[in-house]
Amino acid sequence: MDSEEKTPIIVVKDLAARFGQNVVFEGVNFHVYKGEVLVIVGASGCGKSTLLRIMIGLQKPYSGQVLYQGTDITHAEEKELNEYRQNIGVLFQSGALFSSMTIKENIELPLQEYTDLDPAMIDTIIKMKLGLVNLAGYENYHPSELSGGMKKRAGIARAIALDPRVLFFDELSAGLDPVTAAELDDLIIKTDEALGTTMVIVTHELESIYKIAHRVLMLDKEAKGIIAEGKPLELKEQATDPRVKSFFLRQKPATPDEQRFYVS
Amino acid sequence: MKTQTQEVCPERYNISFNRGDLSLLINLSGQFSLKNLMVFRSDINREISKQKLNSVTIDFSDVCYLDSAAALAFVQIEKEAAYQSIQCQLINLNNESKGIFRVINEDALMNVPFKPEKLQDGFNYHLMERRRLHSKSEKTQDDFIYHLMERRGLPSKSKKNYVDFIRQVGQSSWYIARDFVRFVTFIGELLIAFLYTIRHPKTMRGKDILFYIQRAGVEGLPIVALIGALIGLIIAFMSFLQLKQVGANIYVPSLVSFAMVRELGPIMTAILVAGRSGSAFAAEIGTMVVNEEVDALRTMGFDPIRFLAIPKVLATVIVVPILTIYADFFGVLGGMVIGVTSLDLTIRTYITQSIKTIQVFDIVTSLIKAAVFAALISSIGCQRGFQVRSGAQDVGKFTTSAVVAAIFMIVVADSIFAIMFYYIK
Repeated sequence: MDSEEKTPIIVVKDLAARFGQNVVFEGVNFHVYKGEVLVIVGASGCGKSTLLRIMIGLQKPYSGQVLYQGTDITHAEEKELNEYRQNIGVLFQSGALFSSMTIKENIELPLQEYTDLDPAMIDTIIKMKLGLVNLAGYENYHPSELSGGMKKRAGIARAIALDPRVLFFDELSAGLDPVTAAELDDLIIKTDEALGTTMVIVTHELESIYKIAHRVLMLDKEAKGIIAEGKPLELKEQATDPRVKSFFLRQKPATPDEQRFYVS
Repeated sequence: MKTQTQEVCPERYNISFNRGDLSLLINLSGQFSLKNLMVFRSDINREISKQKLNSVTIDFSDVCYLDSAAALAFVQIEKEAAYQSIQCQLINLNNESKGIFRVINEDALMNVPFKPEKLQDGFNYHLMERRRLHSKSEKTQDDFIYHLMERRGLPSKSKKNYVDFIRQVGQSSWYIARDFVRFVTFIGELLIAFLYTIRHPKTMRGKDILFYIQRAGVEGLPIVALIGALIGLIIAFMSFLQLKQVGANIYVPSLVSFAMVRELGPIMTAILVAGRSGSAFAAEIGTMVVNEEVDALRTMGFDPIRFLAIPKVLATVIVVPILTIYADFFGVLGGMVIGVTSLDLTIRTYITQSIKTIQVFDIVTSLIKAAVFAALISSIGCQRGFQVRSGAQDVGKFTTSAVVAAIFMIVVADSIFAIMFYYIK
C-alpha cells in the first residue's frame, strides 16, 4: 500500500470513552485508510477493545464521532447502523460462533438474511469461504468439535461471508500456538491481498504485527490516548518514547527498582 | 549450594536454642514449610519473649527446605523482634533460601486492598477493616501479615449497625426498582420485535420455533401428565374424605374438574414450564452473552431480541395452552381413578358429572391464562439471560432469578385473573 493513494474509509474524531467516572481514553483521532491493515496495540486495560467495540457500533462513546464513509455511526439510527454492519465483518476473541449451529449454518446466516441467493449458490459460497480459511470439509461440524485455531478460522469465514469492506479482529492470536498464529497471519495477508479488505486488528503478538501490519496505533493507559502511530519497524527502530520502545523491544519499562527486600 | 535432594532432607524440623547473656542463637534444621509454620513460629516467638534479649541470630545452615510461607514467618519474627528492639539476624542462608526471601515484597504485604472486600451479608467490610486494624494498632507488626494469615473468618456480625441496615434497605429498593424498569423496557423491546416479526413474517425463524416447541412442549408432556394425574388423584381423595361425611360423593368429579381446569391445571403447568424452559432460556441466552455470541449477532445486523427471544416466546405461547389442556385431562383422569375405585362411581357418571361442571367459559379462560403465563415465563427467562454480563456465576444467578421471578409473576397474574374473570362473568 502506497502512502500516496490514501483514502480514509473510517475517520475517528475526538473520541472519548468512559466507564462511569473512569476515563478510558479521550481525544482519540485517527483515520483508517482503504485497503490497509491497521493494528491497534497497547498494554492490557488501555481501551483497545473498547475502541474496537465503539468502532463496530456495539458501544456508545462518551463523546466524539466515528465516521464510516461520511456517516457517523455513533449517533446513527438502528437502520443506518444495520447498513453499516453489513459492510463490516467482526472476528471476536473467542470466535463467537453460534454453538447451536453447525459451521455451515453459521456462515449461511448472514448470506440468507442479506442476499437473495438460491441455496445451491449459498452452498458453493460457503465451500469457497471455508476453502479460503483452510477448513474445507468441516461444514457440518459444530463449533464445539473444533480446536481453538479452527474456531477462529471458522469465525473469519463467517466474518467474510458477505465480502465486507472492513474487517475487525479482536485479539487475533490470543491463546493460539505459534504455528496456528502464523497460519492466521498468512490468512490475513492472503485475504488482504485477494479481496483488498481493510482490516483493523487488535493484537499483542509482536511477530504478527511486523508481518501483517501496514500501520500501528499504540494506545496507553496513563496517557489515555494514542501515543504512537506509524509503520511497525519504524516504531521499533526510531521510537523515542520509552513506553513505545519497551513495547516493541518486548522489555520491562526501565524504572528504578524500588522494591524493598529482606535479604540482600 | 550443594545438591540437597529431598531424599536426604528429613521431613521433620528441629530447632535448638543457645542462650547467651543477652543474646539467643537459634539453629534450624530440616524442613520449614506451610505445614509446620504455625508450630515453629510460636516455638520461636515463645523462646524470644521468655526473657530480655538484645539480639537474636537465626542460623539457617542446616535448613534443607524452606518455602515462601515459612520465609514470611521468619520475616515476621524478625519484624516482631525489631518491634521489641531486639536485633535479629538471619545468617548462613543458602542461595535457594535467599531466593525465596527475595520473593517477599514488603510493599505488597502492607498494601491496603484497592477495593474493600465485600461480605456475604452485604455489610461494609471497609469500615470493619479499619476498625479492626485500628484496634490492633498496638501491635502493628501483625498488620502486614494479617492479610495473609488472619483473614480466614468473617468479622463478627455483632458489629452490624444502624447505618448499614438503612443502606441495605435503600440498596435493595433501588435494585428492585431498577429490575422492574429493566423488565418493562425489555417487554417494550419485545413488543417492537414482535410487531416487526408480524409485519415481516419472512424474518421469523420457523425452524427455531419448531425446535423450542419440541423442547418446551413435546419433551414436557410426560412430566406434565404425571403431575397432572397425581394432583387430580390427590384432590379427588381429599374431597372424597370430606364429602363422604355428608354423603355428597357425587360432587367429587365436579370438584376435581373444576379445580383442575380453573386453577390447578394452568398454574401447575406454568410452574413446570418455568422450571423446565424458563431456566433453560435464561441459561442459553446467558451463555451466548458470555461467549460474545450476542455481540456477534448484533454486529451481523441481527436484533438479538428478534433472533433469540421471539422464537422462544412464540413457541411457549403456542405450547403452554396445549400442555395445560393435557394437564387438565390427566387431572380428571387421575380423579377418575379414585372415583371408580373408592367412590363406586361408574366411568360414565364420572365423565358426565365432570362435563356438566366445566363450562366453555372455564376452558377459554384457562387457555387465556396459560398463554399469558407462557408469555411471562419466556419473556422473563430471555430478559434474565440478556442481563448476564460475564462468567459462569452470572449465568447461574440469572437462571435462578428467572425461575423465581417467573413463578412470582405467575401467581400475581393468576390473582389478577381470578378477580378479572369474576367480574367478567
